[in-house]
Amino acid sequence: MAVTTAPVRPSEPGRRPDAGRRAGLDRALPWLLLLPAAITLGLVSVYPIYAGVHASLTTYLYGRPVAGAGLKNYTDTWHDPVFWQAMEVTLKFVLIAVTVETVLGLGLALLVANVVRGARWIRMSILAPMTVAPVVVGVIWRLIYESETGFVNPMFTSLGLGAPNVLSHEGSAFFGLVLVDVWEWTPLLFLICLAGLQSIPQEPLEAAAVDGAGPVRLFFNHTLPLLLPVLAVGVVLRLIDAVGTFDQIFVLTRGGPGTATQLISIYAYNTAFNFTDYGHGAAMLIALLAFAFLLVLVALSLMRRAAKRVAQ
Amino acid sequence: MTSGSGPSMKWSRRSVLKGAGLGVAAAAAAPLLAACGSSGGSGGGSASGSSKKVIIGSFQDPAMAPFRDKYVKQYQQETGVQVQYSETSYDAWYQACKSDGLNKTGAYDIYVMDDNWVPEFAAGGIVQNLDKLGLKVNPDILSKGLDQGYWPPKEGARLKAFKNDTPALYSLVIIDDVNLLYYDTRHFSSPPETWDDIYTAMKKKAHPPQLYGWSARGVKGNPVVQTYLPLLNSYGGNFVNDDWSPGFAGPEGVAALERLLTFLPYMAASTPEFDTDQETSLMLQGKCMALTEYTGTAVTEIDNPSDSKVVGKINMATTPKQVKNGPAIGTFICGIASGSPNTDGAVKFLEWFTSDRIQTQFAREGGSAAVTKTALNDPQAVQKYRWLPAIAQSVQLSTPKPRTPDEPKFEDILGTQLNLALVQALQQKGGYDQIAQKYLNVAKGQMQAVLEQNKNIYF
Repeated sequence: MAVTTAPVRPSEPGRRPDAGRRAGLDRALPWLLLLPAAITLGLVSVYPIYAGVHASLTTYLYGRPVAGAGLKNYTDTWHDPVFWQAMEVTLKFVLIAVTVETVLGLGLALLVANVVRGARWIRMSILAPMTVAPVVVGVIWRLIYESETGFVNPMFTSLGLGAPNVLSHEGSAFFGLVLVDVWEWTPLLFLICLAGLQSIPQEPLEAAAVDGAGPVRLFFNHTLPLLLPVLAVGVVLRLIDAVGTFDQIFVLTRGGPGTATQLISIYAYNTAFNFTDYGHGAAMLIALLAFAFLLVLVALSLMRRAAKRVAQ
Repeated sequence: MTSGSGPSMKWSRRSVLKGAGLGVAAAAAAPLLAACGSSGGSGGGSASGSSKKVIIGSFQDPAMAPFRDKYVKQYQQETGVQVQYSETSYDAWYQACKSDGLNKTGAYDIYVMDDNWVPEFAAGGIVQNLDKLGLKVNPDILSKGLDQGYWPPKEGARLKAFKNDTPALYSLVIIDDVNLLYYDTRHFSSPPETWDDIYTAMKKKAHPPQLYGWSARGVKGNPVVQTYLPLLNSYGGNFVNDDWSPGFAGPEGVAALERLLTFLPYMAASTPEFDTDQETSLMLQGKCMALTEYTGTAVTEIDNPSDSKVVGKINMATTPKQVKNGPAIGTFICGIASGSPNTDGAVKFLEWFTSDRIQTQFAREGGSAAVTKTALNDPQAVQKYRWLPAIAQSVQLSTPKPRTPDEPKFEDILGTQLNLALVQALQQKGGYDQIAQKYLNVAKGQMQAVLEQNKNIYF
């Protein structure tokens, strides 16, 4: 009987006997290095989401979990008219605030990008609002809007326009809050756009200018397409952050007048912690998470399409 | 030219952006979700190892300052028992003590609570039955204040599961906070007796913005409900009836709200955004004829020259009546934690603080809203602090809020619609009866939906 043996590969010149083990270690090393970060992420991000999902599937009575709820909290949320009202307010708030912030941030960045003298001071002063804690921003604007001691009412009155009492009317309160958000977060988009503008290669812009492109054409045909990837990051960050806006609204209006400024974050907070309906509150926040995902996907898709159209 | 827009580059950027976006979204939502999911988690603070030490936790409130700064120390000096006192914000304390009690962590012996926490804390076993712990109640404590600590309630609607239970004391009142009428003696020679008297006076004398006839908390939720309740009760309406049906949308409730709306032409146009600070600042500046507010305004602000331009000019009385007086009550109340490591010490401390001697001292030194009849009518205290008899009278005439853990939700529903009624009435400047009926009906419908959703608890 013939015995066949596998051909023995001659040892590679210069290869050490423990090379196989080393190669395995090399393959595992990146994963090992990632492990601490993965564990940390699991603890601070994945576990809370798990706990939230679990809470949304639980019935609580007098603060204690008493039974599984199945999908009841989700169906209650689905049939809750106040939830949908809050969703509508949230969507309106996010779309208006982020659009205005993007346009203003980009505009300011374009203005400041070419400033040479005093650029540092201009940038610092534009960025200042972003550094203030949101709850402090709420207090500052409450003092500004305050009907008796603030300066908005006297300013309008001195112009013969009548006191607007910003926080006392549904429409003005809503736009008053949008203004607060724009004041605080336009600097973030300014910063991102400015960084993007400064990293754009100048050659294509110079070539287009030599070919006779005016400033408007230069911006829409060249600068904006090159800036879009960076702008997308800024817009996505702001969308996610704006969906969860809480502090300023809590300090300024608590969601009022009526429900005019009641975002999902405020309604879910009240449901969970004031009405002690944790399951329902958690279900709302899971819905909010899904809403944020959806907004991000829509925003990215829109920006990708815009980039394609501009590229053509 | 679109630099860097090749297919592979575009895919890579998109996927990175999408991944990053979704990741950041998840991370942003995580803390709130975790907070919901961890309602049964452990509370803050460390457990006491000493059986002698009494640990008290509280929310921050100016009314608690004498308790914290004087009486805790005095108890230590008199008894040699160490007392550890800690406080935090209202919302944080509510969550912390609830969590401590649910898990019997034993971080605290005594919780200082708002009286509307009692239903949840007693029904949920977060605080202990004080009768069973043998606490001896001072018989001089005003009965309406004391009643706030009973579960199930002695009067009014009861949750189904507690329908036939005998009321037991789960918390002991330490500050009798109650609605008072504050009126400027330059505009009222004697306390106005009815809401109509106030309306007549403001029509005659008020000229906004120099002098407002009335000032009120109008912010949605609890603040505007606190404004409305003394009117609702006095017109003979109920927040909820004995069968839990909403009792504010009937003729009495509508008339009460209509009366409040008729005050609006003589009030600040920004009333819907007013909370306590804005409401009382008008009175402290001498720009308002009258208002209703809890006792803290009297105790800490009205006669304090650094806060007030009307020192000695404001008097206090029971809130006006229409068919009856109906001040709302909101006591500071103490429960003993379910996991208290020193229940005996906690019982002794509460008995000591509510004793005749200490309550009289509490009233005499600062004019605080003491809880005993004798202290609130003590001649030496009354001579210095003129509001004390009004507190005693108001507590006994007060109407409690619905005794259910859903009370904050009911307040939010009613408070949202009341706030909208104020906004519309300010714009419309008339048709107040229709506005009142419209918004109270909406609130009634929403409250009925909540009751229906939780019918296994109520019916």
